[in-house]
Amino acid sequence: MTTPRTIESAAAALRSGEASSVELTGEALERIAALDERLGAFIAVNEAGALQQAAQADADLAAGVDRGPLQGIPFGLKDILATKDQPTTANSLILDPAWGEGYDSVVSERVREAGAVIMGKLVLSEFALGAPDEEKPFPIPRNPWRLDRSPGGSSSGTGIAVSTGMVLGGLGTDTGGSVRFPAAYCGHSGLKVTYGRVPKWGCVPLGYTLDSIGPMARSAHDCGAILNVIAGHDPRDPTASAEPTEDYLAGVEGGVAGLRMGVPREYFFDHEELDEEVRLATEAVIDTLAGLGAEVVEVKLPHSDIAKEANTLTMLCEAFAYHRMDMGSDRWTEYGKAARIMIGRAALYSAADYIQAQRFRSWYAKQAARVMADVDVLVVPMTHEPAPAHKPPDINRRLTMPSYAGPFNLLGYPALALPSGFSSELGLPLSAQIVGAPFAEALLVRMGRAWQQVTDWHLQAPPDDAPGGEEA
Amino acid sequence: MPVPDNVEATVRALVDAAGLPVSDEEFQSLVDGYPTLRELVDKLYIEEVRYEEPALIFTPVPPAKGE
Repeated sequence: MTTPRTIESAAAALRSGEASSVELTGEALERIAALDERLGAFIAVNEAGALQQAAQADADLAAGVDRGPLQGIPFGLKDILATKDQPTTANSLILDPAWGEGYDSVVSERVREAGAVIMGKLVLSEFALGAPDEEKPFPIPRNPWRLDRSPGGSSSGTGIAVSTGMVLGGLGTDTGGSVRFPAAYCGHSGLKVTYGRVPKWGCVPLGYTLDSIGPMARSAHDCGAILNVIAGHDPRDPTASAEPTEDYLAGVEGGVAGLRMGVPREYFFDHEELDEEVRLATEAVIDTLAGLGAEVVEVKLPHSDIAKEANTLTMLCEAFAYHRMDMGSDRWTEYGKAARIMIGRAALYSAADYIQAQRFRSWYAKQAARVMADVDVLVVPMTHEPAPAHKPPDINRRLTMPSYAGPFNLLGYPALALPSGFSSELGLPLSAQIVGAPFAEALLVRMGRAWQQVTDWHLQAPPDDAPGGEEA
Repeated sequence: MPVPDNVEATVRALVDAAGLPVSDEEFQSLVDGYPTLRELVDKLYIEEVRYEEPALIFTPVPPAKGE
């Protein structure tokens, strides 16, 4: 089996003349033609546009115009990001087709200017929150490792497409783990950025104070390459940070010697629902990085279980404000079953509950800042289990499930999901998470690089004839 | 806030106040989950948070217009 391409290797191949963008794009289109009907990654493929952009990328490189490592790279955008040349649906019948028509979101514009070849718009959970719904006219996304398992959400299509080589990189959004869950379940890297690091203008909102747009790619290095293109202030997004950006790959080979890794055991490692193999794989990440010179520091981040609840409540209440006019009309059933009941449940919270969640958020942020003053990063499991069965969500069960993603959305911290192994029984990807202080993305990329230089979990690709189709 | 004795009536009132045309099955699902939801929300009201300011930002200067 050949090693799958990364953005890093493809960018080198483009510059050495070993491959052209038209060839890379042709490979990606072949993967889409072979797999997408079964895996459901794309809402819409822009074949003609992609080939045109690829030809332009090749012509530019030949003329000495080098726009950086995304130039000529097959790339995908979650269909919640406006694109001037394709409609945007948010995977929903509800979104006004006029929204996003004829213009690019900030990030669409930036990857386009960087020369990326935009292959099309990728499937998501409805409005970045719902679940696949057989009754709606959108593809049903499947886990590329086992078709009867969830690919994770909400950036499902980006996760599937990166995992299978339909694209070499893409963008997702993360409000409660939506970049990191599909990266974890599909077996590649995904970077949830600091709140405000990447402008959101032109992205359909879910939770206004939580939403972030982040890179999804096979390696941590590639996530850094994408972040170099999309990070930075834009005045059209009032929540975009003016904090200066940096070159997120400048120190990527710096290793981990001397870095202090905080390990919060409570909740993140001792929850009764935490899968033992996930825990052990995360311990292996910690041990390996310690073997490379990082120092392990036991830390306490109390009430992280409540942080998960505060994140959920905040997300749902903010989403409900956006959706209530449609939900309270005769359009209720135009929403998918999962999205409408999950968002609509916010009607059961009070305004005081929302404010209390924000008071808890202030307190939790102080606790986290205290911890981060003593360590460089936290290392925790990304998910509490490998990809669960592909079936309609039990919304009441979700209330009590642990989430190792949500607390870091509540904090606005950056977090990098990294493949950490495979489950022994079904061969499903496992994932760990390195979490940094605000705007520490470069450090996360550097640590991810160190991990991925001594492991090759991120270079594993699912078989084209993945099992589980008979039950799916 | 303790879970009310009549969960169904409480959920019905909240859903109706929000104008949500939920089906009987959806309503029952909300009723079934309500005690757990309230229990989880009530955990936010912990002593440590008693004197915290909420993490809300308001600026009297309007931000740049997006569209």
